[in-house]
Amino acid sequence: MKEKLEGILKKAKAEIENIQTLALLDEVRVKFLGKTGELTQILRGMKDVPAEQRREIGTLANQVRESLEGWLSEKWAMLENAKLLADMEKEKVDITEPSRGVKRGALHPLTRFNNKFMELCVEMGFTVIQTPEIETDYYNFEALNVPKNHPARDMQDSLYVTDTILMRTHTSPAQVHAMETLKPPFKIVCPGRVYRNDNDSSHSPIFNQFEALVIDENIGLKDFMIMVKEMAVRLYGKDVKMRVRPSYFPFTEPSIEIDATCQICHGKGCTLCKGTGFSEFFGGGIVNPAILEMSGIDSTKYSGFAFGPGIDRSVMVTNKIPNIKYLFRNDLRFLKQMR
Amino acid sequence: MKISYNWLKDFVDLKDLSAQEVAEKLTTSGFEVEDVICQNEHLHDVYVGKIEKIEKHPEADRLQVCSVDVGFKKVQIITSATNVFEGALVPVSLDGADLCNGVQIKPTNFRGVPSDGMFCSGEELGIDDNYFEGAGINGILILPQDFVAGAKIEDALLLNDVIFDINVTPNRPDCNSVVGIAREVCAIFDKTFKECDLSYKTVGGDVNKHIKVSVETPNCPRYMAAFVKNIKLQRSPLWLRSRLHAVGIKPINNMVDITNYILMEQGQPMHAFDYAYLQGQQIVVRQAAKDEKIAVLNGNTYDLSDDVMVIADAKKPVVIAGVIGGVNSCICETTTESVFECAVFDLKSVRLTARKFGLSTDSSARYSKGVNINMPTTALKRALHLVDVLGCGEIVDGLVDVCTQKLEQRKELKISYQNVCKILGIEISKDKMVQILSGLGIETEVSGETLLCRPPFVREDLKNENDIAEEVIRIFGYDIYNNVEGGLFENAATTTGQFHARLQMENCLKNILVDSGFYETLNYSLYSASACDKLLLAQGDARRNVIKIANPISEDLSTARTVMAHALLLDVAYNLSVGNKDLRFFEVGRIYQAQKLPLEKLPVENNRLSVAVCESGFDFFQLKGVVENLLLGFGLTYSLRRSQETYLHSGVSADVVTEDGRVVGWFGKVHKAVLKNYGISQDVYYAELDTDLLAALPEKQYSTKEVSKFPTVERDLALVVDEAVTNEQLSGAIKSAAGKIFYDVNLFDVYRSEALGEGKKSLAYKIVFASDDKTLTGEEISAAVNKILRSLSFRFGAKLREM
Repeated sequence: MKEKLEGILKKAKAEIENIQTLALLDEVRVKFLGKTGELTQILRGMKDVPAEQRREIGTLANQVRESLEGWLSEKWAMLENAKLLADMEKEKVDITEPSRGVKRGALHPLTRFNNKFMELCVEMGFTVIQTPEIETDYYNFEALNVPKNHPARDMQDSLYVTDTILMRTHTSPAQVHAMETLKPPFKIVCPGRVYRNDNDSSHSPIFNQFEALVIDENIGLKDFMIMVKEMAVRLYGKDVKMRVRPSYFPFTEPSIEIDATCQICHGKGCTLCKGTGFSEFFGGGIVNPAILEMSGIDSTKYSGFAFGPGIDRSVMVTNKIPNIKYLFRNDLRFLKQMR
Repeated sequence: MKISYNWLKDFVDLKDLSAQEVAEKLTTSGFEVEDVICQNEHLHDVYVGKIEKIEKHPEADRLQVCSVDVGFKKVQIITSATNVFEGALVPVSLDGADLCNGVQIKPTNFRGVPSDGMFCSGEELGIDDNYFEGAGINGILILPQDFVAGAKIEDALLLNDVIFDINVTPNRPDCNSVVGIAREVCAIFDKTFKECDLSYKTVGGDVNKHIKVSVETPNCPRYMAAFVKNIKLQRSPLWLRSRLHAVGIKPINNMVDITNYILMEQGQPMHAFDYAYLQGQQIVVRQAAKDEKIAVLNGNTYDLSDDVMVIADAKKPVVIAGVIGGVNSCICETTTESVFECAVFDLKSVRLTARKFGLSTDSSARYSKGVNINMPTTALKRALHLVDVLGCGEIVDGLVDVCTQKLEQRKELKISYQNVCKILGIEISKDKMVQILSGLGIETEVSGETLLCRPPFVREDLKNENDIAEEVIRIFGYDIYNNVEGGLFENAATTTGQFHARLQMENCLKNILVDSGFYETLNYSLYSASACDKLLLAQGDARRNVIKIANPISEDLSTARTVMAHALLLDVAYNLSVGNKDLRFFEVGRIYQAQKLPLEKLPVENNRLSVAVCESGFDFFQLKGVVENLLLGFGLTYSLRRSQETYLHSGVSADVVTEDGRVVGWFGKVHKAVLKNYGISQDVYYAELDTDLLAALPEKQYSTKEVSKFPTVERDLALVVDEAVTNEQLSGAIKSAAGKIFYDVNLFDVYRSEALGEGKKSLAYKIVFASDDKTLTGEEISAAVNKILRSLSFRFGAKLREM
């Protein structure tokens, strides 16, 4: 009996070791441990074993069963794992095949720029406002110190609807609306479309500007510059350099044009900045007191500054857009590059 | 504005400065020098040469070999020109020369005979007969015998100027002149302005005996005149021609050249009449009569009207005032007596006239910018000084001066020193301010903390402290601000920033669309009025009341848009035409709706989001999903109804209607006939939302309830109904019939077949049941299903489909 058990142990061990599939392994299990399995039969035949040997044989038989079960489950786990690995190997995909499902589209570069800038303004305490695109000449010109027949009206050839109503030529009327409706101190910014009677390879009749206005007590040109510098740093990084040039706007006095480090060549000089290393950032200045008075703000108490660049050119520069006409052509081949 | 550097030297000592330095400083002080043009750019290595000997070329009949003395050496030049002769002085270009016509000179060899360079024609030096006699001929420019061999040609011909092209801002009309810029240069470099020489000799007599001036229009505040007789009309001297040539004015004769000289130098337009042709010996400044005509110097004849101001004699108009002279009274070869006009005309009148006739002359351009009432005195005297110096004629005593406006006195501005510092945000000493202001010709005295400033009369732009602050800082230098330091808004009150609600909401919608594969487009908000026709808008549609641009750039940009769809359909058509496929576009933009035409008050501007899809396999229900996703974030209960939008397919489109009946949007398949109008042959789906209405909605409120602990049970039912029965009707009926245990219902299949019969369809629903307080039994579910079937059968004749 003892020999028989030891034989089973030896045989089973060898068979289990050689098995390579789960199905065959199960057959081995049945062969030894199934209802009519070799070991089961021995265990069933225990009653025929002489009593004095029964204890010893019984212990041995149980040990053999435990060993068999251990080997079987170990081998089972091993084979199962091997099968998983083999299955995964079969399921291997070509990871370079294209993705499926809806592909993200893209915002227009002007929107992206505008959002970035508006966020910056809001963080600095500006309120974003919106005013009409079709304006009266009072808001577009007169209230901004451009009286009828002022030569400055020559600078902005306008699209008129009637003698007194026109497509706004700049976002500056927003200044007047703000001064008429808000109580100082305030800071506003108004992004929007503007219109000019101008359409050639480098000009679009419709383009985008924003207008910002700060009215407070004790505001001077230095405060303006500190703010502009802060904006430039946040947009272009802390190494940005500034350059101030005199300029002329009917509604600001003094008026300045502020250049910042050219973002194409980073100050080294390129064709875009004509080798100067600087490109136009903002134009603006101290609000002319005459304007404050016209809109009902006490110019002896309050002062302020206004500024407002066109953003189309900045968008072209920062996105390296070769032609201004791309901004309104909406060619998918262009738009896809904005993803 | 072109300004000659040599001319500036008449008024400022510029010996220690280069033209480049002056240009840079002008730019940084507010007069942007856009271009610096060196007249001699193409004149280097060209000298005056004397031809000493001419011999025939041994090998070529048409060539001549000339020995030439160019002062510092002798050279040999081979020429084919026939007008050269021994002893002639000619321009000789030598090795390295780079002439105006692009010819580059190198020593060369003509059939074995070397040539050191080339003789030049006037054209090759960039000049013509107007500038220099003989320069226009088709041959070598023969120079006068008083020229000196060896001189640089640029010096000999006075072509050694540097010209600044200056962008003069509209607030500084006084600087559209040499003297104006010269004053700026003086202030910038702290130099003394050399006053103009206004002296001249007269020959007695009385101007008033020769000419009577009357002003009969309010558009001429001042008219001055002088009388010159015994005129010797001839070429102006080279130095004067050189000045005019430098700034692009064609020299004509001494009298006309003087008027142009004064225009450029003083900024005062002038005119010279031939006295012989002034009928009645008088000048009348008046508005033209309706039927008058005038033939002017540009060769055209214009019909006049009473909005045009003219200078007339007793009978006829002789000049369109401030714009252009008539041929009937201009200076010509026979002129012996002349009246000089030096006047101030209203800038608006001149500008409108110039625009009306499409005429832009140096004079009209100058008047349009504004001529100060004090200017004519100096200008006229300066002109007479030139008449005297050039010996053009004899000046009769006296000046006519009809002035209908009081001459301005120098105004005095009381400026607070502290306020100037406050405006600038920096401290500049009073002494420095006084120095700067005085340099600009602004007489300034300090009285305690006040600066008393008396600007020159031409500085009409100076009115308040801000103006004075700008004068101070632009001369002091804006560089001080380049590296400014300090706290952000350290002198201002704290304000809280706020986004614009609609813009912010539109951004959310944009991002949803971008995530769904859409690309944002931007379109012009002006379009062609034909858009309304293309979109099949009904004749009475309010959107046909379009706002027209009075002076449109083109028909395509002639109308403010009242409909969004046009732009996106054009975008789709364009993209298809260039071969782009699978188009998902959106735009956020404005439409402009007039309440009444012609426009009396401002129109309503309405903001819209429009969406267009042209993609194979895309359908109405996918579009509906896009719209639903966009509307999900709003506190909005809405229903759909069939859309009446004319550009959409009437059976495959819907309006989004709020509970109170407002339409916030519409979507659907675009009408085939509309697509045809845009040349689009594929299906396009379009949706539009009114973002103004959406932005006004209350914020969405969320309210949730406990999730049931008990399992849900699903049953699928396929129901056969008439085509007219809608999903909304069936699912509503299912919900109410299922009662308390209803959880959800979803249509998952729609099926039509011959077996079902014409006009029938099968709708397959997945119905979900659930209870908050127990596990539902099979009996409960069956009972509910039976109730649903009975209800649907009764209400809609629905039959359970045999599977």
